[in-house]
This record gives sequence, C-alpha cells and structure tokens, in this order.
Amino acid sequence: MTPKSNLVIGMIGALVVAGSWHIEANPGEFVDGLPNLWLLGGEVVAELAEVEYRMVDRAFWSMLETILMAFIGTMVGYALAFPMSLLASRNLTSKWVYAPMRGILAAVRTFPSIMWALLFVIMVGPGPFAGVLAITMYTLGFVAKLQYESMETIDADPMDAASSIGLSKLQIVRFVVVPESASHLLGHLLYMFDYNVRQTSILGLVGAGGIGFYIITHIKFIQYGKTAFFMLVVLITVLIVDWVSVKLRDRYVIKSQRGVVADVP
Amino acid sequence: MVPVLKTLVIMISSKRRSHAQRHLNTFKAGINYAIVGLSGSGKSTLLKLMNGMMVPSRGTVLVEDCKPDQRDRQFQKIMSRIGYIPQSLGLVRNSTVLDNVMMGALPRMRLMQFLLKRYSEEDLEEARRVLDKVGLLGKEDRKTYMLSGGEKRRVAIARAFMQGPRILLADEIVSELDGTTSREIMNLVADMQKDTRLTAVMIHHDIRLALEFADRVAVIQEGRRVMELGVDNDTILDFQSGDSTTQEILEMYDDPKE
Repeated sequence: MTPKSNLVIGMIGALVVAGSWHIEANPGEFVDGLPNLWLLGGEVVAELAEVEYRMVDRAFWSMLETILMAFIGTMVGYALAFPMSLLASRNLTSKWVYAPMRGILAAVRTFPSIMWALLFVIMVGPGPFAGVLAITMYTLGFVAKLQYESMETIDADPMDAASSIGLSKLQIVRFVVVPESASHLLGHLLYMFDYNVRQTSILGLVGAGGIGFYIITHIKFIQYGKTAFFMLVVLITVLIVDWVSVKLRDRYVIKSQRGVVADVP
Repeated sequence: MVPVLKTLVIMISSKRRSHAQRHLNTFKAGINYAIVGLSGSGKSTLLKLMNGMMVPSRGTVLVEDCKPDQRDRQFQKIMSRIGYIPQSLGLVRNSTVLDNVMMGALPRMRLMQFLLKRYSEEDLEEARRVLDKVGLLGKEDRKTYMLSGGEKRRVAIARAFMQGPRILLADEIVSELDGTTSREIMNLVADMQKDTRLTAVMIHHDIRLALEFADRVAVIQEGRRVMELGVDNDTILDFQSGDSTTQEILEMYDDPKE
C-alpha cells in the first residue's frame, strides 16, 4: 500500500462518517428498532395463517401480469436498443453518429423506471400498459449501454479481416459483431429480464399495473401480513427467474470445454 | 506479364533514419512470392499497405493501377478479390467453419441472403469444393474456437479462396505449426496458387520454407527489398541484389537468436 492509496482510503472513510452525520444516521436507533421486527414478524405469521383462497388467486394473476409486463418490456426495449447500440459503438460508426446517439441514450438512462412509469401513467392512463412502456424505456437506456460496451471490446482482428475482404458495415455486423458478442448479448438479456421482474413488482406503487398495486394498498391499510404475503410471492418468483437464468447462462453464455464429452473413435 | 502490384516506398513511420528511400517493389502477376526479413523489417506493414488497411505516409502503392485505401469505392471492388490472411487469421471464433468461409463470398451476396444466412446453392457448392481442398469437408458446422491450430489456418485459407482471389496476401500462416503440418499447409496453398494462377505474396519466418515453396523470394530490410532470389533446380539464383549478399542473408537465418 502506497501512502497515496492510504490517503485515498482515509478520505473515503472520512466522507462516509461525515455523510452519515449529515443525514443524521444513528446506529442506536437501528439497535433500538430491532424488537419492532419481532413484533412485525409475529403479526405477519399470525396473519399469514389466515390467508384466503381469494388472495392466492389475486397474487397469482397479478404476479403473472407482472412477469408478462417485464417480459414484453424487456423484449421490446432490447430490440429497440440493439440498432441504437450499433450506432453508438465507437468501432462501428463515426464520431458524428455515435456521439449524439450516446447522448440520447444517456438522457434515457437518467430516469429510474418508477419515473418513467409516472410519466406514462399521465400519458396513457393507469394500468399495465404504462408499466410496460416504463420498462421498455428503462431497458432501452440501460441495455444499449451494456450492448455497445461489449461490442466495443470485441477482437479487432476479425473486424479488420472482414473489412479487408470488402464487407459492408451491415455484413460485418451480421458476421462478426453479432457472433462475437452473442454470449454477452444473451447475458444482458437474461440479466435485464431478471432485473425487470424485480422492478416491475413495484411499478404498481404509481398505478402502472402489476403486483405492486396490492403491496402498496395493503401497506396503506397497515395490513402487514397481507403485504408480506404478496412480497413472499414476489420473492419466490424472483428466485425461480434467477435460477432459470443461471441455468440458461451456464448453457449458452459460459463457453468452457470443461466437462464436454469428447468423441472417442 | 503485366505487373499487378507496384509498391513504391514502404515504411509508414520512418522514425529516425530515412528508411523510406525511394525504392520500387514490383510484383508480377501469377507468381508466388515469398517475403522474408527480420522482425520489424516491415513485412506485415507491406501487406497491410497492399490491401489498403494502412496508407503510406509518403510514396505510392499501386495494386492493379489503383491506390489501396479501404475507404475508397473503386478499391473496394478490387479488395473483394484480394485474399488476406493476417497472422492472427482473423477468424470469427463463435461462428461455424461454414460461416467463416462464406465471409469470402459475402461481397457478391444480396441483402436478404446474408441477413438470413440463406446461402445460394452455387455458393454452398463452391464452399464445399474449397473445404474439400483444405481437408475440412464434414466439419462445416464446427464452431471455429473448437478447432486445432492447423485446422484454423485451413479455415482462413478456405475463406481466402472463397473470394475467388486474384491476389493472395498471407502473413506467416505456418509460423506456430510443427514441420509436417507446415509443409502440408504450404503444399496446399502452393497447389491452389498454381491452379488459380493468382499472384501470391506470402510472408515467411523461415527462409528454407520460402525457398522451397515460392517462385521468388524477396528479402526485405527496413521496408525495402534488398534482394530477390529465385530457385531453379535446387540452385538459388540471385536476381537482384542490394546491400547484402545472398550468403549474408542465409547466415542471418541460420543463427537461431537473430
């Protein structure tokens, strides 16, 4: 460790302490609050025992709606992001094209999904469609950055070889860029869907559809048990989505030959 | 025979000394040239100047009476008929052997054909013929990253021949291979060069391989040709000597260190 890095670490530490003081963070309050968690836990368990069929039904359909919203938003956003990310890649276009494209994408990225949802609820009225639009915009801004960054890191050799054959930009995209970044692109898609299922779950807070509507409603009526039930459904769903995406990633993204069965003649 | 490649002044960055002395390198059509020279002598740069990837800081390079520049429309037409095999081979690792080879035929394909990879029967026929020649028939659907070093070189050669090339530029394609495989691959390229009567300019790290397979061997020093050798009935002929003598050049290659 150099004196310089010590200084940097010291400064970061000082900033954390000073910042905590500014926002009035108090570790004592955290410790004092722990028994409240026990009380809440008892309440939740008691109420969970009384869950009726009607709620299971509601949770199922609203969760399904949430997943569908996340799915549609992810796919549409991803499809829109792809051509934009090609135009934003520094190794594929000129400065006059990629610089403004990056500007547009950065602007899209500044809004968190809940802000987009708010905007679209005002635009098209409350409901899942507003949520889908919000997820689409969020995915577009976010995934396009991931895409163009991975396109920029692909090996220059096949690109040079392709342009030496006299291939057009579109041919280079189809035969070099897409195959060389395919596993990254699939990885981004899985990651984004995974992430979008989580965030679609809270879009109901601003009336943009999905299971979040029930969560916010029960919180408003101080029904913590019912709130917990819906959150539990979200948790289980997210775990399942996560597991599936890990499996898909293992199969298509990670390209090790370890464990591959070799043909013995 | 009309010269197809004329290069005048090779070095791009002539840092300190005046490497860039005016010197005419002419490559005649239909002849298999080998280029040898120490590392850093400008061999790869010479190839990149001829396919338009690099442009000379001064002087003129002419390929089929056109100045090579990959951004130039007129040269783009010529480019599709210049087979270029870089030292790194430039294969698309995640694509199949067939897709890599088909890249050579892309300049003559229509939009929907290449977007959907719906290759025409003629192109498939040609790809099979070329793959058969390089000994990869039956491995069309293998992913390129699964292939061995020798097989990868065969794919790159097949891609170049898929272009229906008039000129072949190759940069040390057998450098990392063992002796037997090197010979096989050199034989293959030499045969294909004879069949198609194309002009080949191939860089070699081994002057013995160069003398064995090429019609003419050009020795490059600091970007310019100092000597051109030929082989006739096992006798090395000195066509055009510059500063060094044939003996000196051969000795240079005998010393394994330099």
